[in-house]
Amino acid sequence: MAEVLLKHISKAYAGGPTVIRDISIDVKDREFVVLVGPSGCGKSTLLRMIAGLEDITNGDLLLDGQRINDRAPKDRDIAMVFQNYALYPHMTVYENMAFGLKLRNMPKDEIRQRVTRAAQILEIESLLDRKPKDMSGGQRQRVAIGRAIVRNPKVFLFDEPLSNLDAKLRGQTRIELQKLHRDLQATMIYVTHDQVEAMTLGDRIVVLRNGDVMQHDTPLALYNQPANRFVAGFIGSPPMNFLPGRIVADGTALRFESAGGAVSIRLNGSVHQQALAAYAGRAVELGIRAEHLTDQPMNRQRSYFSPEQLIVFDAVERMGSETLAYFILEGQRFVARLSGDSTVDTSVGVSTFWDIDKAHFFDADTEQTIR
Amino acid sequence: MKKLLPYLLVSPYLLHVAVFVAFPVVFSVVLTFHSWNIISPMQYVGLANYERLFNDRLFWQAIWNTLRFLMVHIPLQILLALMLAELLNRTVRGASFFRAAFFLPVIVSGVVVTILWQQLLSFNSGIINRMLTAISLPRVAWLDDPAVAMYSIAVMATWKNVGLYVILFLVGLQSVPEQYYEAADMEGATSWQKFRFITLPIINPTIFTVVVLSTISGFSLFIEPYIMTEGGPMNTTLSAVMYIYKQAFQYYHMGYSATLGFCFALIILFVVVIQKRYVEQEV
Ligand SMILES: Nc1ncnc2c1ncn2[C@@H]1O[C@H](COP(=O)(O)OP(=O)(O)O)[C@@H](O)[C@H]1O
Ligand SMILES: [Mg+2]
Repeated sequence: MAEVLLKHISKAYAGGPTVIRDISIDVKDREFVVLVGPSGCGKSTLLRMIAGLEDITNGDLLLDGQRINDRAPKDRDIAMVFQNYALYPHMTVYENMAFGLKLRNMPKDEIRQRVTRAAQILEIESLLDRKPKDMSGGQRQRVAIGRAIVRNPKVFLFDEPLSNLDAKLRGQTRIELQKLHRDLQATMIYVTHDQVEAMTLGDRIVVLRNGDVMQHDTPLALYNQPANRFVAGFIGSPPMNFLPGRIVADGTALRFESAGGAVSIRLNGSVHQQALAAYAGRAVELGIRAEHLTDQPMNRQRSYFSPEQLIVFDAVERMGSETLAYFILEGQRFVARLSGDSTVDTSVGVSTFWDIDKAHFFDADTEQTIR
Repeated sequence: MKKLLPYLLVSPYLLHVAVFVAFPVVFSVVLTFHSWNIISPMQYVGLANYERLFNDRLFWQAIWNTLRFLMVHIPLQILLALMLAELLNRTVRGASFFRAAFFLPVIVSGVVVTILWQQLLSFNSGIINRMLTAISLPRVAWLDDPAVAMYSIAVMATWKNVGLYVILFLVGLQSVPEQYYEAADMEGATSWQKFRFITLPIINPTIFTVVVLSTISGFSLFIEPYIMTEGGPMNTTLSAVMYIYKQAFQYYHMGYSATLGFCFALIILFVVVIQKRYVEQEV
């Protein structure tokens, strides 16, 4: 059992501004929770407070129901994998992994057993006699994880463990981390600024911004029902397209009109009609993902919109599996995700079809999703 | 012309080396085979100087004195410098003040420092003995007791030089990433274990540098005994360099003095090579 509960946690560094504001998060037993947000939003600070490396200014940190705010890091039964691995340069891989166990006066045989077992899991048995400087980034990273595993802790913390790896290795390691989580059946809290890592690894994801929780939910919920404009723009690749405008009520007709007037979308019959009726006359922002903008006419039953004006793409990226086509509308950068065999090209006018039921509308003032 | 230019450009340096390094070295090696009192012409004496050296009890006592000095001075120097550097490395209030304060004796003239310490250590009127008396302890003959004098000098020399090594260790300590200590905190290491198993091994090269530097500077011990004790009591603070100096400029035995110097240089080289061997095995 290992449940981590953060209750109204705040953090202000001595003499500095508050960097974490009243955050409450629950991490369930054996859950893989990812803290994600742009650089500087306080992810590391939050993780380090859980580890015991930073003091908690306000609030309670509970591990399995016990308040551990004042417990020394070593007494928390929590292991952490650091961003730059923090492997001791003068020790071999074996010594690095055995260090913490030796400090706990564990019998030599058991140390050997545990290190060997962890090395097997991570497939680094052949590296046990090497020093960190004689290994690649990916190997060091495994050793750093190994050092955490041997202690068999209740909770694993990871601070951007993949950020020093190249793209290919990062992809592989993501998959291995998932497997590791399944095999170890441990509670893991993982920090990253990369939303792809967050989406692929997390059972649940906490999106942070400037020390506030923006949303705390499963990957698909974040993707399909973002709580606000920030989450909508942060999660997903390519990022969501945005278009500022206002809701106009004209008798019974309800429309979204873009600020520049190029887009006027009829909302009657769409899933948004009811929620947006209350916004008549107010400024909102339309958000729509690349895959909901196509060059193929859609099923007529669905509520869709097709601007009269033809779109001229200014860049086309052919990925094989899909084609990303870029254009600018009223000064906003837009991207459409078309099929891989699409023949669209730059500088030709194309009709586009927008799946309005899949679009999102955000209150222009609060940036909250209108539901 | 093209071939000459490079030589022309380095000629000032070569001239300097020739006049101030190469010539004195060669000349002093030549001197070791001669007897010379500066005034009369040199006289070739073969290996007589070397023979005399091996039977010169005072020279070997001076070497032994110097080694006794080093045996106290070097460990004390390293320990003290490391401790002060550790303290200064934490964010102590006024750390830059202390850094400057520890460094000050390094740049003050050795003569001034020595005279100052002579007063501190004076048997009758020195502050240190007065403090001992104040807490009803017996006074110590810091500079007059043959069993104590050299160690008093070792402590004083440490006080003078420690600031330099504090700076070197501070640089070493600051090169240890904070994350190593955080990782060790998570593993449950105590402050001592962190120092023993992380700091020490990582700053080992700095320790070696400090050992070699303070060995070499310690071997050249001269000003302190020359001013404070003149080598006494009973020649127990007569350092090797001081003896070589006396042979040359008090007795004008230039040839013999050169022989002593040459032999002494070999001893220093020997010691440093051993130190290097030992420390290289450690890394
Ligand atoms: N030791 C510190 N002292 C003062 N401010 C800090 C310290 N560490 C981090 N901060 C500040 O706290 C904020 C959050 O930092 P951090 O948790 O490292 O962000 P992230 O890991 O999300 O990039 C930043 O504005 C950073 O400048
Ligand atoms: Mg960080």
